[in-house]
Amino acid sequence: MSALLIAQDLSRRFGGLLAVSDLSFEVQAGEVLGLIGPNGAGKSTTFNVISGFYRPTSGRLSFRGEDITGMSASAISRRGLVRTFQHGSLLRDMSVHDNILIGALRTVRDRRQRQRHVRDTAELLGLGGLLDTIAGSLPHGHQRMLSIAIALAARPTLLCLDEPLTGLNSTEIAAALGSMQRIRQEFATTIMLVDHNMRAVMRICDRIVVLNHGQKLAEGTPAEIRNDPEVIRAYLGDDA
Amino acid sequence: MPSARVDTAELPRTAMHRARTGPLLTALGAAGVLAFALLTPDEYNQHVLMWVALNAVLAVGLRFVLLVGETNIATGAFYGIGAYIAALCTVNFAVPFPLALLAGAVVATAVSAGFGLVTLRTKGPYFMLISFAFTEVTRLIYTRINYIGGNSGIMGVFPPQSLDPWMPALTVLLCGGLILALYLCERSDLGRVFRAIENNDTIVETVGINVVSIKLLCLVLASFAVGLAGALHAHIYNVISPGDFSYLVPVFALAYVKIGGDSHVLGAVLGAALLTLVAQALEGAGALEQILFGGAIVAAMLLLPDGLWGAGRRLLRLMLRR
Repeated sequence: MSALLIAQDLSRRFGGLLAVSDLSFEVQAGEVLGLIGPNGAGKSTTFNVISGFYRPTSGRLSFRGEDITGMSASAISRRGLVRTFQHGSLLRDMSVHDNILIGALRTVRDRRQRQRHVRDTAELLGLGGLLDTIAGSLPHGHQRMLSIAIALAARPTLLCLDEPLTGLNSTEIAAALGSMQRIRQEFATTIMLVDHNMRAVMRICDRIVVLNHGQKLAEGTPAEIRNDPEVIRAYLGDDA
Repeated sequence: MPSARVDTAELPRTAMHRARTGPLLTALGAAGVLAFALLTPDEYNQHVLMWVALNAVLAVGLRFVLLVGETNIATGAFYGIGAYIAALCTVNFAVPFPLALLAGAVVATAVSAGFGLVTLRTKGPYFMLISFAFTEVTRLIYTRINYIGGNSGIMGVFPPQSLDPWMPALTVLLCGGLILALYLCERSDLGRVFRAIENNDTIVETVGINVVSIKLLCLVLASFAVGLAGALHAHIYNVISPGDFSYLVPVFALAYVKIGGDSHVLGAVLGAALLTLVAQALEGAGALEQILFGGAIVAAMLLLPDGLWGAGRRLLRLMLRR
């Protein structure tokens, strides 16, 4: 395994607030890396910085050996790092088919291949029979899967999922985790994800990075994280 | 034969049937207008027809930028630039007519590219205000340049005399071609990206598409059409002055789009045709004209939220269901 994404001493300041401070971590090719931490720990800011939506105040980012610090979101996406958003954002007035097509437009040039790619991606995320449905009228669970489908259609090397499981019921969570396993195997896509559902994160991730107050608190396998006294203290307080 | 109830098995076929008759009917309509343009001997009718055609391009050009979610009041500036450049080419430099038209369109396009490059980083009300200011500033600039006639503008902008009988047909043909070209862009994958940007530009950015450059492309394509229409305008009216290119031009175009219906390009054309005819009918009514015209706009906005096109579609669907 080699490092796909290297974050080095990443910081991001908003006025007086240091949302992320001196954060360093690596995402290895082929793994599923979880980013967890209490509310306000800096998870979303970290996502916004690595995907180019915020410029880091200091620090370096390199992706597949290339320095991507300060590049625009679309430029980073073109290099293979594609993200989704917390609130399952999608193109509400457009069909499921057109949503996924927008994702594939730049990466799959051949028309026929693109059609097949759109259909395969929909199938993989359980949207196979809904291609003509208007995205905004889908139930919440399907909207979530669609926002992943749009990102996946862009054929990312590293797919960053921001709270993909929030608001899903247990059946939907099981299906979503199954889809992520298949994304990893069939598309050879590395996944980095933020989520609050501990049990799901522990189950699917190979490694976990724990953030607290914008800093890295711990890093390791799910088993190591589960037993880390620092992590337990951050989540449950000093008296636990 | 129409029966009281529609067989469900027949529905897909009627849908397909309609999908194919749509373009056919449009083509027939366009051919009819063209024939009318060629055959009508009445000069007044010819002029009204040409005004409708020019206004239709203005409405369709404004609607084209609405596809990416921006209200482009600078449409008036690009229309004016097309007109002034073409007029200068004809009057001061005796440039051949087709080249004068092309020069107007090309310069309008180039200016729109510069304008968009600077301003398209803003959106919504900010872009609208900047584009409004741009139209007014260009109008004021015309009044200050003596070389282009200052306040009185440019007179004697005539197309070649041999073209005189052909001008109505030529105008309809060129305007129709521009509208068709913009419509084909809208129907392509590029048009899908436009709609996607209007829906959620962040998503478009995350899948690796540079939103600002796509918006710029949209603006530039619309401005070419509008600039060419402006160039035609100068040669149809034969006289242009700064007052012809105020913010009222794009505001009226917006009214055409909203009253005709913004969901389809033909809605914009319909609105332009209807309101131009109404304006002609009200000509000579003095201030009453403006009042009635304004009243018509407000009434249509209140009563027809998706315009005449949307109302027509609903009516058609209702009739088919019966």
